[in-house]
Amino acid sequence: MSELTLKGLTKRYDDGTLAVDGLDLEIGDGEMMILVGPSGCGKTTALRMIAGLEEITDGELWLDDQMVNELAPKSRDMAMVFQNYALYPHMTVRQNMSFGLEQAKLEKGEIARRVAEAAATLDLTEHLDRKPAQLSGGQRQRVAMGRAIVREPKAFLMDEPLSNLDAKLRTQMRTELARIQGDLGTTTVYVTHDQIEAMTLGDRVAVMSAGVLQQVGSPQELYARPENLFVAGFMGSPAINLLPARVEGESLQTPIGEVPLDGRLRDALGRAERRDGVVVGLRPEHLLDDGLNGHGGNGGGVTFTGDVTVLEAMGAEYYAYLELPEHTAVGEMAGMDRTTAAEAGVDPVARRDSGQLVARLPLDSRVRERGPITLRFDPARLHVFDPHSGRRLTDPDR
Amino acid sequence: MSAAAVRSSTAGRRSRPLSQRVFPHVITGVMIALALLWLAPVLWAIDTAVKAEPDTIKIPATWAIPHLTFSAFSTDFSASDIGRWYINSAIVSLLVTVFTVITASMAGYALSRQRFRGQNLLYGAILAGIMIPPQALMVPLFREFQAIHGLNTYWALVLPQVPSPVAVFIFKKFFDGQPPELDQAARMDGASWWTCYRRIALPLSRSAVAAVSIFTFVWTWNNFLWPFLSSTNTPMMTIPVGLGTVIPGEGITNALVMASAILGALPLVVVFLFGQRQIVEGVAGTGLK
Repeated sequence: MSELTLKGLTKRYDDGTLAVDGLDLEIGDGEMMILVGPSGCGKTTALRMIAGLEEITDGELWLDDQMVNELAPKSRDMAMVFQNYALYPHMTVRQNMSFGLEQAKLEKGEIARRVAEAAATLDLTEHLDRKPAQLSGGQRQRVAMGRAIVREPKAFLMDEPLSNLDAKLRTQMRTELARIQGDLGTTTVYVTHDQIEAMTLGDRVAVMSAGVLQQVGSPQELYARPENLFVAGFMGSPAINLLPARVEGESLQTPIGEVPLDGRLRDALGRAERRDGVVVGLRPEHLLDDGLNGHGGNGGGVTFTGDVTVLEAMGAEYYAYLELPEHTAVGEMAGMDRTTAAEAGVDPVARRDSGQLVARLPLDSRVRERGPITLRFDPARLHVFDPHSGRRLTDPDR
Repeated sequence: MSAAAVRSSTAGRRSRPLSQRVFPHVITGVMIALALLWLAPVLWAIDTAVKAEPDTIKIPATWAIPHLTFSAFSTDFSASDIGRWYINSAIVSLLVTVFTVITASMAGYALSRQRFRGQNLLYGAILAGIMIPPQALMVPLFREFQAIHGLNTYWALVLPQVPSPVAVFIFKKFFDGQPPELDQAARMDGASWWTCYRRIALPLSRSAVAAVSIFTFVWTWNNFLWPFLSSTNTPMMTIPVGLGTVIPGEGITNALVMASAILGALPLVVVFLFGQRQIVEGVAGTGLK
């Protein structure tokens, strides 16, 4: 077990592409740190630099009190689980799991003990003499895990290890993985593009975009207090509603109503570069059906009425999509066209340019497709963002 | 099968268009014709080899064998050191094959997996070697081995035949097709580059190893020019060179020539029978013929 410290870790390829730009991260002993972000954000490159499979262009990588920039992968004592498992197809499960221990020149008895122990933990004992081709996807994934576990390394590095599994198995393995990591208490860096995996597995989550670290924090922190538009848009499913707003007199004009300026919003606007326009964010679960009692119906807050264009019944709840009566594209406000927004890694913002709003409503809501609905929200739930820097302006210190 | 199922399957066959029903038979016919075309010279060689020499020049030529005789084969055995030549050919072909597979696979692996300065230039230079006809190298090679007094040794027969740009190319392409994560996983597991090559990459390249081995073995076994130049002592000759010396320069020797050719090719037939599957896979996989 050990601590990993990344100081300004940078990767620039020969063709000039900057894949990771000055990544600073401290990963505590036994911590499970999730690197999350869209495809091409540099998370896998960062992991490969930690593994030693990718040369570090600039910055420092520390494992406990040793700088390991120049150390070969085999000397770093880390184990990696690959997206496609990378099991040696010509070896049995037992040989796959023993390979690393043989390289470490452990005694045969010790190798057999560790393999048997890991196989028991992962429910692989009866498959030890099979080859990977004879195993199911879930079993292969467990062998890949087993190969890492038996080494008892200082850190686990996992590169989207669940992405090749079907949805049901992925959920099952996610729980399994969390249990094993918790039991072993090994420092883990886990890369995923799936924000649900990030939210459920991580002690802390580092959100990356375009090679740049956007925010690090606990899953709840990222969800409740996203530092910028990108994090707000990336974390949460369905994604946060991002709407353009402008200050008029003593209120904030938004496409879903007029929000009176209270002290919190006034402070937020005071921090804006320009007061003429901001972006407000509202989570889908913070839009409430005004017709419902027991959910704060007919209470305070701002109400508005809109037509439901699409209604998705999710089993435990509804996702109701509403067309906005008027809207200005958020990306446009930030001075970006759609392509620029996507390239800048704020594609969740670009996605929300459609002028659509989504609300998560309970099953007892009387919402109907292609019917009107009155929704209500508490202005205290609003996040306010600067459209130019993307920075969150509300509650900066919380 | 129930009556209904039989009826439905018969109906299914009937409903197939005529072209689909006839096509497989046409293909089979063409394949048989081509096989006979390829087989005819081999059968003719056997036919000639078991005839008496005067019968081989009768006009018109005929498949009929008036007097079955194996005298051509016995001449090959009695008038020569054929046993020794077989051993020489086997030793040389095996050594060349083993050395070629080892060196070419290592070179192919390094070119596929390592990144180093001048890599493309080096690979280009190796590939350029394909374009140099082996005959052009004969005189310099001969003079080199002559200078080091290496002629009429196994080294002279083996070493110049080992470097094979085509084999390097085949192995590089094969390793390029292997997922790099396998190597990376092995490196994370603590393996050195050598272990990655030996324990992971090479065992997964069996079809490339088989293809290169078979082609190299056959090529070396059949090679005439270099062994002819480098082995002037009869006991050091290989089969193609040695059998050439059995045939006298004058008189009718058709049966003897054919018997020698059959004896020379016989081990390759054995190789083919045992390695049929790998040869087919090798041809399909590497595009070599």
